[in-house]
Amino acid sequence: MAPTKSINGQDLREMFAAAASWLEKSSADIDALNVFPVPDGDTGTNMLLTMRSTIEESQLANDHSASGVSKAMARGALVGARGNSGVILSQIFSGLSQALDGKDAINGKELADALAKASTVAYAGLSNPVEGTILTVIREAAEAAQAHAATVSDDVVSVVEATVNAAKESVANTPTLLPVLREAGVVDAGGQGLYTILEGVLHYLKGEVEQLKLRRPWMVASSIPLTAKSPQMVGMEEVPYGYCTNFVIKGEDLNPDKLRKRLEKRGQSVIVVGDDSAVRVHIHTLDPGDIMSYVVPMGTLHQINIRNMDEQYRDFIEMQKERMPAVEVAIVAVVAGEGLANVFTSLGATFIVPGGQTMNPSTKDLLQAVDVVTSDKVIILPNNKNIVLTANQVQSLTEKTIQVVPTTTIPQGVAALLAFDYEADMETNAQSMEKARTAVKSVEVTRAVRSTKLGGLDIKKHQAIGFLNGDLVAVGDKPDAAVQDVLARVNLDEAEVVTIYYGDDTTSEEAEVVGDSLDEQHPRLQVEVVKGGQPYYNYIVSVE
Amino acid sequence: MTVKIVTDSLGDIPSDVARELDITIIPLNVLFGEGIYRDGVDLTTEQFYQKLAKSQVLPTTQIPSLGVFVESCDELAKESDEILVISNSQKMSASYEAMVEAVEKMKRPGRVEVIDSQWAIMAQGLIVIATARAAKKGASLDELIALTKKNIPRADVRMVFDSLEYLEQGGRIGKARAFLGSKLKITPILGIREGEAFPFSREHSRARAIDHLYYFATSFSHIDEMAVEDATTPREADALAKRLKSQFPKMNIYRTTVSPVIGAHVGPRVLGVAVLGDRG
Repeated sequence: MAPTKSINGQDLREMFAAAASWLEKSSADIDALNVFPVPDGDTGTNMLLTMRSTIEESQLANDHSASGVSKAMARGALVGARGNSGVILSQIFSGLSQALDGKDAINGKELADALAKASTVAYAGLSNPVEGTILTVIREAAEAAQAHAATVSDDVVSVVEATVNAAKESVANTPTLLPVLREAGVVDAGGQGLYTILEGVLHYLKGEVEQLKLRRPWMVASSIPLTAKSPQMVGMEEVPYGYCTNFVIKGEDLNPDKLRKRLEKRGQSVIVVGDDSAVRVHIHTLDPGDIMSYVVPMGTLHQINIRNMDEQYRDFIEMQKERMPAVEVAIVAVVAGEGLANVFTSLGATFIVPGGQTMNPSTKDLLQAVDVVTSDKVIILPNNKNIVLTANQVQSLTEKTIQVVPTTTIPQGVAALLAFDYEADMETNAQSMEKARTAVKSVEVTRAVRSTKLGGLDIKKHQAIGFLNGDLVAVGDKPDAAVQDVLARVNLDEAEVVTIYYGDDTTSEEAEVVGDSLDEQHPRLQVEVVKGGQPYYNYIVSVE
Repeated sequence: MTVKIVTDSLGDIPSDVARELDITIIPLNVLFGEGIYRDGVDLTTEQFYQKLAKSQVLPTTQIPSLGVFVESCDELAKESDEILVISNSQKMSASYEAMVEAVEKMKRPGRVEVIDSQWAIMAQGLIVIATARAAKKGASLDELIALTKKNIPRADVRMVFDSLEYLEQGGRIGKARAFLGSKLKITPILGIREGEAFPFSREHSRARAIDHLYYFATSFSHIDEMAVEDATTPREADALAKRLKSQFPKMNIYRTTVSPVIGAHVGPRVLGVAVLGDRG
């Protein structure tokens, strides 16, 4: 039966071995999460390999006390560490072993203190600790463990349970701390890995052998709603370059702190961990030879591993493609206004070209967007009648296959995008998007820029004017009234959904008033008021 | 000797149909905090959604202990030397793995075969029903295995969702992740592809999403079995079933509800159509 009062050396071996098998089940899923600090997509594998080395070394230890086994683990983790998360994990084991020094067995309180030490050591190993990563998770988990041990119970299982719960919460919270995670819509991969390890330990301590065997770890969901991910986001990230260089120096009187400071001048993402006899180095550099020459006088070099990050990055892009369905067809949309851009991106548009009524993008602008997206097949949504022709030009300038769905308004563009079918080919999609485009009615309201007579209407400068499907049908002093006026010409009894996108110059209160009055007049209608943030148009309204 | 048919509760087979066709259903568990309920046994779908509405904690689900699988199979082995187990998609639950493991642990191992249906809800259910019907007519175990494998690619399902939050929380979102985070109120229509949730379509209104289900069913050229299932909106499901019935007057359309375990992963107000048949 699992211990609850204390943990000895053998327990340490077994609980972390169980944790390693638990981690193994989800290492591929964790790989898929990796977006930070470099998109190389192998955090799960790196942590797993680090754990394996940790466990192997622990089994070789002759000293079976908690102190002896944890020292062996720290050694195993240090020599086996791969990737940023692996290195930080090795720091955690290093911290644990420092706290367990000289101890035969530990109770819950001592375990909590050891986790706190692990957290301190992990932070100290990095020249520039970043929150929202595995670091935050170990720190918050350790804090919870200490608080629990101090105020609730120092029973080992209950301390570990509190640790695991805090770790899970901390992982879910990582996207709020790191924008890159938020954009990609994922939690931090290293944090998830650490949570999974702690959870594996807990299952073991609770004697949940069947769980460990038959279940697989849950991936923590982000605590903030996901924004749609798209290859666009990846393409916009700073592309890493150079070589990811890893090695161990063995020697005498090595000074990790001094070495770290020196190396920071020679590369990026520098991690230096170890002691005066063995130091592990991780650095991104344009010239690995330079780094090698620099360190070789200090001792002997081991486990040299140099990888081309551009290749890693390409693999990452490939993996991103696999994660999302049907990115073989990308959608480029021309949209003005941040709110509307968000709407299009959230519905799966791959790339937004800023533009619209008052700023028509050039063919080159569109061509660049088409070239940037990773897909060879691209559907363009111009969303304005003045941009359709420009969009049609793109095909003659690119090798890629282009389909223009000639959307002339934002509502048409949204309707077309909603009709996109992740399973269908480009031809079929273009057809169904065209069908959806023509089924929607578009209302646009703006201010007249000069006085004129048009469509039998007398219009003064700055008056609000309303268009229905591109035709001028209403004029009034206020945009709100003009919207109502245009909508009065549409048979709303046959409509199901009305979406009101309010512009840059319109407040949400004003827009809500328009929405509420529609709601009152047509209770069966689904009315949605969305911030479009578009320039020029006070209101763009879609009637479906 | 009649081959016994076993499945898990994720196929949403109505209990009267299971009784009639002699299908053994092994219930999974749904957990509200400390309370553990056997799917459809200790908790009906209606009770589940009432609890869900009041509960402070989100429900979680689990497969029953291995012993439950072993006992059920051992019990059946007293009646027949041959058992065919058709499980939920192994990409969605650990049911398949547990059943394979249970077979190894059985006391009286006659011949027991386990097949991963690669489906859930009534798509899984219809495959099991077709196999059970053939078993009742005296088909051999080998014939039943062949029939089941033939039917797996013939099943399909679409389900209208009110929200994808439950699917996401439970880690079963799969590629339907593409539909998350919409800035507009859309109604997602998901199906299952290669054993996982797949984003098929989305509509801006629920009425149109329900139309989508109707057109999905009518896109088949030949239909063996059909089912309409709901969670909390029986009237909507009845209306859809009636509409389908007028299109397929001779068809027996199963009307069922999602089981509580499925409910924990799909949330309220889902509505689905499952078909076993051929297209084009």
